[in-house]
Amino acid sequence: MSAPLIPPARLDIEGVSLRAGDTELVRDISLQVAPGQMLGLLGPNGAGKSSLLRTVYRMSRPHTGRVLVNGQDVWRRPAGWVARHVGAVLQDMPAEFPLTVRDVVAMGRSAHKALLEPDLPHDAALIDAALALQRLGPLQHRPFRTLSGGERQRVLLARALVQQPQVLVLDEPTNHLDLRHQISLLQFLKDSGITVIAALHDLNLAAMYCDRLCLMDQGRLVAEGRPEEVLTAGRIRAVYGIEPLIARHPKTGSVWVLPG
Amino acid sequence: MTHRDDSAADRAALLAILRRPPPSRDRAADLAQNPCRDRSHRFPGPRAGTGAAARARFLLVTGAIITLLLAVALAGLMVGSVRIPATEALRIVGHWLSGGGLGTPDWRPAYEIIITQTRIPRVILAAVVGASLGVAGMVIQAIVRNPLAGPSILGVSSGAATGAVVVMRFGLVVLGAFTLHVAAFLGGLAALTLVFWIARTGGQMTPTRLVLAGVAMGAVLGALTSLLVLTSPDPQLAARVLFWTLGGFGSAQWKLLPVPVIALALGLCVMLAQARRLNLLMAGDESAVALGLDVERFRRSMFLLTAALTGITVAVSGVIGFVGLIMPHIVRLLVGADHRRALPAVALASAAFTIAADLVARSIIAPLELPVGIVTALVGGPFFIWLLRRDARALGAAR
Repeated sequence: MSAPLIPPARLDIEGVSLRAGDTELVRDISLQVAPGQMLGLLGPNGAGKSSLLRTVYRMSRPHTGRVLVNGQDVWRRPAGWVARHVGAVLQDMPAEFPLTVRDVVAMGRSAHKALLEPDLPHDAALIDAALALQRLGPLQHRPFRTLSGGERQRVLLARALVQQPQVLVLDEPTNHLDLRHQISLLQFLKDSGITVIAALHDLNLAAMYCDRLCLMDQGRLVAEGRPEEVLTAGRIRAVYGIEPLIARHPKTGSVWVLPG
Repeated sequence: MTHRDDSAADRAALLAILRRPPPSRDRAADLAQNPCRDRSHRFPGPRAGTGAAARARFLLVTGAIITLLLAVALAGLMVGSVRIPATEALRIVGHWLSGGGLGTPDWRPAYEIIITQTRIPRVILAAVVGASLGVAGMVIQAIVRNPLAGPSILGVSSGAATGAVVVMRFGLVVLGAFTLHVAAFLGGLAALTLVFWIARTGGQMTPTRLVLAGVAMGAVLGALTSLLVLTSPDPQLAARVLFWTLGGFGSAQWKLLPVPVIALALGLCVMLAQARRLNLLMAGDESAVALGLDVERFRRSMFLLTAALTGITVAVSGVIGFVGLIMPHIVRLLVGADHRRALPAVALASAAFTIAADLVARSIIAPLELPVGIVTALVGGPFFIWLLRRDARALGAAR
């Protein structure tokens, strides 16, 4: 255990705007995630959470603004560089082809491989570890397309982990998971030491596990800060259009939002 | 939160493995300080054996395909208007390969001429065209992320056929014996350029746009070809055009071989070098980007490569359907979807299939020949339907 571990990176989103045709998906958003911190992106459907995340893993080029990983603009670096630094856990993956779970996880190593370089024991060790960590060992030879939604999501997380990223981007990683796996995933992300930015739907779980929260609405950043600063009755009423009741978790003391 | 089902220590150890930088190239230093090599006792489950099992299966399947390929190639040398026994055929090939050193020529001289001048080039052409169509089909299916696509979907085949028909219709002879082949290639290239341009108009070149543009181009060019044939004063033209639209290896000769052989060799090398990236395309654009692939540029270059390969095969042998559509499927069932294994396997399997189809095409109504495209379609069509039904059932069951 003497070798130094891969350090987490700092993520800066600076004045990012994104348009699709005439629609403004993301409007001038700036936020920072310190190394090793976990940031939760909250907001109703269509708030622009996924769109903002796409600018981080180099899928959608922002019309204005920059995305910096450790000070390096991801849109000025090659796609391979970004994949070695930023791992993305997408909501799902199309599965027209008979790829096995292990095939899919192994894809995460691609950006680290030189032309014609074969899979080395090091790669196999990483893939084995990621499979074991997500309890996918027994499923590794199953075709990906036969898995349930929750299992697929765990495969995609395992794939992002073997990328050995310094920043993890997760787009609603808990939406197919049962409660036990949701908690287990969030706890894992918190313990991982990797810088995390995740779009989440469950306000209470987000408040429990995230260091900081961002509330988005109609492409704009409404509030940013510690969970208890962001999740106020007024903001939730304005953004979600519901009448909330704000309480505290009896054991952890974290903010707890109830429909009022 | 506590988790009773796995120990925190195990998870921490696994995470530590994942967060460790890659080992240095120095093996000794690596072994000394990298405990992940000594992990065999820690995590139960199939692991070390997995790569080996897959490799063994791949080698077994590939061995079987190579055996099959050699068998049909031998049959291709024996069967025809003159039937040559296997031993004679093998001895003639040995004699010919060794430059006359091996074996004494006690066979009929006509046999030697038939084998070396007609049948060997024909078998090689069928193999090369088949292999090209197989790998092109497999790559196309990855590019457009649709297992039901094939090389003909790009419109290149139709363009090549149209190019050849234009030359025949207007009796243009500019480049001597190769005029037709060059015209076919140029026709394919023109169609490709148009498809490319249509697919890129107004933004990104998505798989759907590519397929739609190719299908539309194919329909227009098919109509154009028919129009040229029907308005021709030459009553024989329709029969000659059939060669281009249904394909065949009747024109095989040595001087026709170098271009397709070189194209296949180069194309296959590039595809194998890019196999890992081709795998990423199967995961969809969003995943591929997140995993470090410049999808747009990669798709463009692979598209050009497969189109060139397809165009060359059509130029030498006409449009042969279904090989590039079904062989990738069969091979994926046998060795999996990983292109590092599937590409070499599909090249060999498609070569064997095409030689066999040609064998049927020239023996079933001997001394006449069927266009080989009829044979591949008769075999491939029903298989394709079966595949569609099976896929529909499998997906229905999975959902």
